[in-house]
Amino acid sequence: MGVFENKFQDNVVVASLDKLLGWARSTSPWFFQFGLACCAIEMMATAASRHDLMRIGMIPRSSPRQADVMIVAGTVTLKMALRVKKLYEQMANPKYVISMGSCATSGGPYWQHGYHVLKGVDLVVPVDVYVPGCPPRPEALIEGLLKLQEKIQSERPLTRKTA
Amino acid sequence: MGIVKGDQMVLNIGPQHPSTHGVLRLKVVTDGEIVSDIEPIIGYLHRCFEKHCENSTYEQVIPFTDRCDYIASMNNNFGYVVAMEKLMEIKVPDRVEYIRIIMAELNRIASHLLALGVYGLDVGAFTPFLYMFRDRERILDIFELTCGARLLYNYMWVGGVSHDLPVGFVETVYGFLDYFEPKLKEYNEILTYNKIFIERTADVGVLPPEVAISYGVSGPNLRGSGVKWDLRKDEPYSIYERFDFDVPVGEGTVGTTGDCWDRFYVRMLEMTESAKILRQALKDLPQDGDVHQAIPKKIRPPKGSIYQRTESPRGDLAYYIISDGTPQPYRLKMRSPAFTALSVLNEISRGWMLSDVIAILGSLDIVLGEIDR
Amino acid sequence: MTDNLEQLIKEAVEKALEGDMDAVNNIEDRVTRSKAKAALVKAKREAAKEETEANPDENSNDSSDSKQDKTTNEHIAELLIQQFPGDINKELSSQEHIQIQSKKWLVISTFLRDDPSCLFDSLQCITGVDLGEESDLEVRYNLHSMTHRHAVEIRISCPRNKAKVPSVESIWRIGDWFERETYDMYGIEFEGHRDLKRILLPEDWEGWPLRKDYEVQETYHGIVVQKVKEGWE
Repeated sequence: MGVFENKFQDNVVVASLDKLLGWARSTSPWFFQFGLACCAIEMMATAASRHDLMRIGMIPRSSPRQADVMIVAGTVTLKMALRVKKLYEQMANPKYVISMGSCATSGGPYWQHGYHVLKGVDLVVPVDVYVPGCPPRPEALIEGLLKLQEKIQSERPLTRKTA
Repeated sequence: MGIVKGDQMVLNIGPQHPSTHGVLRLKVVTDGEIVSDIEPIIGYLHRCFEKHCENSTYEQVIPFTDRCDYIASMNNNFGYVVAMEKLMEIKVPDRVEYIRIIMAELNRIASHLLALGVYGLDVGAFTPFLYMFRDRERILDIFELTCGARLLYNYMWVGGVSHDLPVGFVETVYGFLDYFEPKLKEYNEILTYNKIFIERTADVGVLPPEVAISYGVSGPNLRGSGVKWDLRKDEPYSIYERFDFDVPVGEGTVGTTGDCWDRFYVRMLEMTESAKILRQALKDLPQDGDVHQAIPKKIRPPKGSIYQRTESPRGDLAYYIISDGTPQPYRLKMRSPAFTALSVLNEISRGWMLSDVIAILGSLDIVLGEIDR
Repeated sequence: MTDNLEQLIKEAVEKALEGDMDAVNNIEDRVTRSKAKAALVKAKREAAKEETEANPDENSNDSSDSKQDKTTNEHIAELLIQQFPGDINKELSSQEHIQIQSKKWLVISTFLRDDPSCLFDSLQCITGVDLGEESDLEVRYNLHSMTHRHAVEIRISCPRNKAKVPSVESIWRIGDWFERETYDMYGIEFEGHRDLKRILLPEDWEGWPLRKDYEVQETYHGIVVQKVKEGWE
């Protein structure tokens, strides 16, 4: 509620519609658990007891229809790349993608001789936030999620986008 | 796959699914709810590990071995450096040996905690997952204290280790052991002897010992079927013969020998044994010695090949290294225990229902990074 | 003064003989350092001479104890040569492995599994090797016995263009997946395998990746395979 603290009195809420919608949309993104490799273990550790993801409003959902954010955690191989694209297309709008770890960002340590490794998941799906690390610490992933929340907050869904 | 009969259905448990073992695809042919054939399709995480090893130097291979079995990366490193030291005939100082054993056993406890917690999650119990992860975080804190990394360490080098133990390490590990050993009783109360858990796992997915040996299954999966075989005791490497510990085997306590419950319980007991080894190692740890003393300046092993097996938390991990005298390996093959464990899934799941297949898969404790390399 | 220097040189040479050259290289005075290096060369030469003098004694011991010094591989090689003369290549076998011609591999492997003195009931690993640009491919099997606790390594080579080896998946069930992986990486066909197809790479992949002359394909289903380095400096 940081946007609205100490600004009003006596039950009157005045806000721009964009900010209100941004607050509603950004503070409870449900994520699609797409753990592929080592980063998946750090994603599980972020969702577990010590660094609790649920306090930022994120719950793991296994079906793409119920999720807002897809966290691609781990190396994407060419065999898997076609499925990543299919699952991204199955998610309902508005949807966002976080690329977690250096393998999903750009191929990671396997960029040089990896004939079967996709050099970055942004070759198949559009990515919003990149979280570097191998694997990134849970705190780094949480920072990536907070940056995504800022990005969603600053979107203006009601204005018509000039093409 | 064969021809599907008229009343059978082919179901795809796709590469993305909530069970957390990784990207595995199962093509299941079912007759109603009963499974008649399963074909595991792997390769969704094939990251060209062996090709990378042929194009990197021997030191550069070590971070790649970390990332194969990412849950027990100290043990992966351990297997590789034991093989290389045998090939190059290097003798490491005692302090390095003790440090390596301490790290390997701590990682064994961490790996089993994750395997058991996630197994509870597969079967439907959410609380043990949170409890076990809480304790696993304490072990990851110890690793972070030593070498700075939480999950993938690059810690064991050929001839030594990368960082010496920091001040206060021994007290921290003793503190962890004193905290951890009573927790095992707590886990037995919530999960192991829980009636619902026993209903779901006892007598399910029985693995007979001859089938296990023919399929090359090893580690806790083989010990759950009653075969007393542990490489730390039967073909000891490093300084394992100096330690006194038991090898737990499955005895069919609540069901048949070799069912899922036995494999689960063997892992639970192995954590106690690892704690025993840790206490002995901490007591006998030599105080002085340089951990970087025996590290060769340039690794150029003599021409030849070696096949060395070590015991990782999943079973019998082996490296086959062919060297041709240059600083880069000519061929490096990693024989992973989870590869063999997954191949036996078809044999032991026939005739069970679909939800039992998930229970059986969880009890085999596979890691896709190791299978696909 | 000279005593101290000699002591220093002696200690440095001893450390260097064990492998730590820093002790010699860290001596500050140039003259002393060169003296230490010369002493090291002399000490190494003397050590080598001692070894060759000791060797004639060891050789004579060898011939009388030859039976006990033989490795498991050599024992099993002799057993196999008695049973299957003509299929074992004795010149290429060594202390660490047995080289076999490929035609009767299925019969030999059944013998290895069932014979009471061998009892190799577990196939540990199948490795494919590419022996070089112009030479053959090789398949190496590591076998282990749970009852007798011994292990052997068997190697079978096959020409690059017609790489065919009999399959052992009916004998050791794990051979199924190991052979599929070797086929996937090297293109070696295993005759008698019930369903030989790729296991790690997608079905429509072209080429055999672990061969030394492998060229990566440019795109796969429209996705660029190699890393594009545009925009780098």
